[in-house]
Amino acid sequence: MKLLRTVVIVVVALVFALPIVWMFAAAFKTNVQVTDPTVGLLFTPTLDNFGNVLADGEILTGLRNSLLVGVVSTVLSAVIAVPAAWAVGRFGMHRTGSLVLVARIVPAVSLLVPWYYLFAQAGLVGSYVVLILSHMFVSVPLILWIMIGFFEGLPVELEEAARTDGLTAFGAFRRIALPLATPGTATASVLAFVASWNNFMFALIFSNEETQTAPVTLFNFISYASTDWGGLMAAASLMTVPVVIAAIFGQKYLVAGLTAGATKG
Amino acid sequence: MPADSHPGPPPLTRRSFGRLAAGVLGGASLAACAPGRDAPSRDTPLRVMACNHVWSQAISKYVPEFEERIGRRVSMSMLTADQLSNSYNVKLNASGTDIDVMMMRALQEQLLFAHNGWLADLTGRVTGDAAFRWTDFLQAARDRSTTAGKVLSVPIVTERAALYYRKDLVDSPPATLDELMETSLRLTDRGGNVFGFVGRGQRNGSVSQWSSFLYSFGGDFTIDGRSGIGRPEAVTAYEFYGRLLREAGPPGATNMTLEQAMPIFAQGKAAFYVDADSIYTNFLDPKVSTVQDTVAFAPVPAGPKGARPYNIPSWSLAVSRFSLLQDEAWEFLRWAAGPEMVARIQADGIPGARTSAWSSPATLASFPPQLAAAMSKSSEIGVGHDRPEVLQVGRARDIVGRPLVAGILGGSVPTVVRDADAEFAEFLVRDNRYREA
Amino acid sequence: MTSTAEVVRAARPAVGGERTIARDNRRLKWLMLAPALAFVGLMIVFPLFYTLNLAFTDAFGAVNAAHSYVGPRNFLDALGDTRRFWPATGRTALFTAGAVLLETVFGLALAMLMRKAFRGLRLLRTLLIIPLLTTPLAIGILWLLILDPTNGIANHLLASVGLPRQEFLGSVSQSLPTLMLIDVWQWTPMLTLLLLAGLSTLPDEPEEAARVDGAGTWQRFRYVVLPMLGPTLGIAVVLRSVDALKTFDLLYATKGPGGGSDFEVETLNIYAYGLTFDYQEYGLASAVLVLFTVAIICVVILLRRRPGGRSG
Repeated sequence: MKLLRTVVIVVVALVFALPIVWMFAAAFKTNVQVTDPTVGLLFTPTLDNFGNVLADGEILTGLRNSLLVGVVSTVLSAVIAVPAAWAVGRFGMHRTGSLVLVARIVPAVSLLVPWYYLFAQAGLVGSYVVLILSHMFVSVPLILWIMIGFFEGLPVELEEAARTDGLTAFGAFRRIALPLATPGTATASVLAFVASWNNFMFALIFSNEETQTAPVTLFNFISYASTDWGGLMAAASLMTVPVVIAAIFGQKYLVAGLTAGATKG
Repeated sequence: MPADSHPGPPPLTRRSFGRLAAGVLGGASLAACAPGRDAPSRDTPLRVMACNHVWSQAISKYVPEFEERIGRRVSMSMLTADQLSNSYNVKLNASGTDIDVMMMRALQEQLLFAHNGWLADLTGRVTGDAAFRWTDFLQAARDRSTTAGKVLSVPIVTERAALYYRKDLVDSPPATLDELMETSLRLTDRGGNVFGFVGRGQRNGSVSQWSSFLYSFGGDFTIDGRSGIGRPEAVTAYEFYGRLLREAGPPGATNMTLEQAMPIFAQGKAAFYVDADSIYTNFLDPKVSTVQDTVAFAPVPAGPKGARPYNIPSWSLAVSRFSLLQDEAWEFLRWAAGPEMVARIQADGIPGARTSAWSSPATLASFPPQLAAAMSKSSEIGVGHDRPEVLQVGRARDIVGRPLVAGILGGSVPTVVRDADAEFAEFLVRDNRYREA
Repeated sequence: MTSTAEVVRAARPAVGGERTIARDNRRLKWLMLAPALAFVGLMIVFPLFYTLNLAFTDAFGAVNAAHSYVGPRNFLDALGDTRRFWPATGRTALFTAGAVLLETVFGLALAMLMRKAFRGLRLLRTLLIIPLLTTPLAIGILWLLILDPTNGIANHLLASVGLPRQEFLGSVSQSLPTLMLIDVWQWTPMLTLLLLAGLSTLPDEPEEAARVDGAGTWQRFRYVVLPMLGPTLGIAVVLRSVDALKTFDLLYATKGPGGGSDFEVETLNIYAYGLTFDYQEYGLASAVLVLFTVAIICVVILLRRRPGGRSG
């Protein structure tokens, strides 16, 4: 029985790991090798693809912009979503909370033209502002959903004791609830950052050459008549590496965060 | 800690959140009412939106000299054709001013863009500028650039259908379509993963390549303004191309766009490939192709009604009507599509639209001799469109492409054609209504 | 970080009265919620009215071109369209139901498997998270490469063990199932992790008691674990379903706009996208989007009403 379990686990691990390994491998192959199925995992690697990708200033700009937009949108989203989550979780305002969660339901296609119109009127198109705002639209409900679970799980007595102790309501939030929810906040922020990092549609429409984010630059490697598969895989690898590092280090928190919303939520 | 008996939330709390709320509201209302469109300064770059095409890559090398000439930076974005279309759609729908020069497909988008009033009228500029030599452009290309008497774009890349073949597998290229079918079937070895023929098979993308077959069988998309795809010639063309891909082509043909079909020939897995001649550089590039030494070029074989490949201006430059840098945008067009630059780029291997470039032996020498010969021949006999000439080209291609897919999958082509023909007829009525509106 | 013990130790008798605290709370909770509500509300209110407005017009070509109101015609056209709309709806439902079902089953199985700690658990968890966090676009392109019928490694491996080559994403009939499997590959880890956490909070006693009573592994799972896991399962399914209904990146990256040659993967989202960007038929596109959004809301309400699911 134990052997069966081990076998299954190994198979599962391979199923999830191999395609990603394939992606990294392809980043080190030439285009001819990538489209040649007889070239497996044993081949002479080349750094040309990474060279091309990094020399193409666009990718680096893309990575830098993704980082900027990701961090700013995540921080701002946390600032407005965490207190809201506390209000919903602590006081059971689920119906009102659901209104914010409606943002998760709306298909992005319906947002593109009206937003573009609004932002064009304000002269904001192509700026970081519009990217940050559109990413926040995704992050705020995400952080809210995760944090509601965390706050619901906190015993009310702690805050009430603090209130009788003389703290104001806000003080109770700031001094008691917020610190205790730090693991949740950290996790929710990492997940929101990843969502922003991977977002393609908004960047495609709202960014310009200077502000375009990493997923859009990925498509640079699909040209009119050929796909630079090697370059594409190298760019995709470069985009995935920060996410992998986050996964390895934040593993404990990430798992805790994904699960908090479910168990309490 | 002293007892705190304030009757309400501490002022600090209210203030700080009030600020936050006000900030969000203020920002939003700013977005809603402020006019905010700045007049361009000396530092505003000239924004060129282009497709990730060999032309764009070639011209971007020379852009610094243009920047020096007009004293303004050029910001060129390169996107895939779909992304480019989407961007135009969103931005021009909102009258966006962040596009100056547009690279577009005249046959795909000009009628629609003209209908929407998105393109600046260039008639005065092209005809009034002697050095630009508007009449130097190929007649067919000039016709395509003109809508309702106004010149709305300037062609920069032309394409003709070409037959790529492996000279190690066939001694001489097939002269007729029947020969092509016969040889392709003969050379197909599915067990060995080798195919006689490869071509685009995706519903929308294959329509342009199939058009040469349609014409060579004597058909056309619309005849006298009515649907032509229900006619016997069209049915034969559908069945022919469908059979080619089904019996001599690789698996998964119905998902093959240019990007998937091309590597199959480049990897040496097919004997024949029909597509645009402008992509030939891919087969000569050792980083991408294993057939550099075995690839050869020929015009598309003749059908019962002769050889009638398409010969079209595939890409053109236009100026956005909302651009705040109209004069500078025209300067870019004037430079990029002017006689000198076109000759230079053609020498780099990009087929342009000027007769002067085509007749100059120096520029023709940049193409492989066989290909140059094929190009010349196709130019003479070519048909000026490779898709239905309507406003809603996207929907039209989806309709006329359906029987193609049926043919490739082995379904009953005549049945599907009947249905598609009816749909196309309805569509044409609606499309004409839009045009008149 | 304040230690809870400290706080409790520092508690003092109530000062100011219960009513004050209640009033403070009421005011504060609205203040805390206000920015989030305001932000989402403002961002969504214009697009909402914009789309609703367009849905009743015959807007075509350019949004600000002259167009007229045509009443509910677009909605009626969409609801009566058996060529594109209803097949798209069917595909959306099939894709979502199939993918989410498989993800739940596999996720549950994996979670049960990983319940007991073992060497390499952390490594497996990390491996599971990676597909989850990678750009869906890159994943689509990667699988396109792996599954290429002629040049891809998948067929090469199949052929080398004597199995017939498949067309995968190149085939009209195989595309949707293939994409469902890719979706399962990408999102099963999320359900696994969600359910693992749910499992870890369950009390041990009921299962112990059942084991002592002689219940087998499957019986313990079916009659003890599963019911207790109900709420977690419900939430996970709702969350994943909403996202699956709206799947776009994966379909776009592998089949391009248009949902494939025979519309084989055209879901409602892809259809609405095509109507907007390929056909420029904004009136119809808006109507389809409104219908789609209503459908998603209905699905969410339905799923949350299920016994074991959280309501409200």
